[in-house]
Amino acid sequence: MFRDLGRAIPVEMADVSGESVIDTRGLSKDYGSGRGLFGLDLQVARGEVFGFLGPNGAGKSTTMRLLLDLIRPTSGAARVLELDTRRDSVEIRRRVGFLPGDLALYPKLTGRAVLDYLARLRGGVNLRVRDSLIDRFEADLDRPVRQLSTGNRQKLGLIQAFMHEPELLILDEPIAGLDPLVQRSFHALLGEVSAQGRTVFLSSHTLSEVERVTDRLAILREGRLVVVDSLENLRKVAVQRLEIEFAEPVAGDEFRKIPVVKEVRANGRILTIGFEGSADAVVKAAAGHEVRAIRPREDDLEDIFLRYYGEVAE
Amino acid sequence: MSWPTTRITLRLRLPGTLWTAVGLVAVLAVVGALFPAVGHTIGKLNVPTSVANLLGGADYGTITGWFRSEIAVIYGPLVIAALAITGATAVTAGEEEDRILALVVAHPIRRSRLVAAKAAAIALIVLIVACAVWIGLIVGVAAGGGGISLAHITALAVQLAMFGLAAGSLALAIGACTGNRSLANGLAGGIVILGWLVNSFAPLVGTIDWLKYLTLFYYYADHDPLSRGVDVLGIAVLGVVALALTSVALAGFERRDLRA
Repeated sequence: MFRDLGRAIPVEMADVSGESVIDTRGLSKDYGSGRGLFGLDLQVARGEVFGFLGPNGAGKSTTMRLLLDLIRPTSGAARVLELDTRRDSVEIRRRVGFLPGDLALYPKLTGRAVLDYLARLRGGVNLRVRDSLIDRFEADLDRPVRQLSTGNRQKLGLIQAFMHEPELLILDEPIAGLDPLVQRSFHALLGEVSAQGRTVFLSSHTLSEVERVTDRLAILREGRLVVVDSLENLRKVAVQRLEIEFAEPVAGDEFRKIPVVKEVRANGRILTIGFEGSADAVVKAAAGHEVRAIRPREDDLEDIFLRYYGEVAE
Repeated sequence: MSWPTTRITLRLRLPGTLWTAVGLVAVLAVVGALFPAVGHTIGKLNVPTSVANLLGGADYGTITGWFRSEIAVIYGPLVIAALAITGATAVTAGEEEDRILALVVAHPIRRSRLVAAKAAAIALIVLIVACAVWIGLIVGVAAGGGGISLAHITALAVQLAMFGLAAGSLALAIGACTGNRSLANGLAGGIVILGWLVNSFAPLVGTIDWLKYLTLFYYYADHDPLSRGVDVLGIAVLGVVALALTSVALAGFERRDLRA
């Protein structure tokens, strides 16, 4: 978690009423047949690590491509670093680090040649910063890109995105293909970046990755924003769970009849009961049996995510 | 212009180009060496007019006609056009379809400057191939016993370079405006080959003779640079076409969505 990494800006300071590094108003890109992005209103504050969640095809990459002027909106507008994404796109790209999803690099070039080219193309890259990133990620620079694993290619993508110390990082599925050790390095790097007051806007469909690093997150589904909130607030509205260990196996049906109970899972003498609101009725029903232990189970982000999806689907 | 982009494009395409150049010099040397043995015999054949036109309508019995028919009219322009078209397509639509451009275009550079840098690299590739033809012709003509002046050999190489630039800019425009590799290769290649056929056959049918003026081939070869030297008008037309199509490529790539 970021708190473990000494991050300087706590969740509470991520106030969207302050300067918005990303500000979209009715941003839409209609590809037809219901595909695309529709009416996105989103503000990301300076210093935030903002998670952009959704399944494949939800519109995450489309949003990022619109912010960088790789594609143009059907309607609406966006500002990045208080600049217009259409008129000031070159200046925006100078101050932004971007990692595209499905990163592709010149297959015949070595990692070193790719990074050299991208550094020259960008200009103003501090080679010491680049070299420290190379050391941190232990990137393989001497083999042609086509011989590199997905993870090693992704390392090159991360290095080029961070090497000019951008004010804003737009990272599309940044952890794809990275092994756990490299993921840890990446998370530490995000912590340092955030502590410096720089902003990170990252997408993922792997929920546990976002849960570990973000201050706030948005959930996108079929091109539309479902929710934007802090992880803390999302947890408050999530289904709560109690894991109750009984002396003898207990039938779950007894608990399913309780109005606030949403789900019951049985595993031998242990029942995991998901409910909304007060736990009173659940605890009273459990008291009718010999209870060995009651353990609260914190929802993970996946539960929150699926819950919002369920609501929209309904 | 983005010099890093020009340099990296050259770095990626130069090895193949240099091998092609070496091959071209070798082929031209061999073609020249064959002339003393077979040129006079072939020159006595009665070839139908349509076939003769396809081969440039030249007299095989002279070394100028031999090289015009063997190299200047078919082999040279098709090789240089193929290299220019595939190269221009690869660095625009090809890189876009391979998703490489998604990262490159996200850098702080105008798209038009990026395309201009790639166009410059492809132009240099074309010039290298034209130089190889020039060297090969010098070697080949010497091997064939001489008979074509250095000025006329240079004229052919210059016309060929301009033809390659025009053909490459056609592919550049299609590739940059559509991002479709197959379309850029197919359409540009088709237009060049159709131009060769039209330029060869249209003069045989009086009513459509004017169609030849619409082909790149006419401005490249109709003047017969090996016999008559540089065709300033032809070079000017090919140059204007190349510049116009490159401008279309720059504007087209600037204005459209990058393909996913």
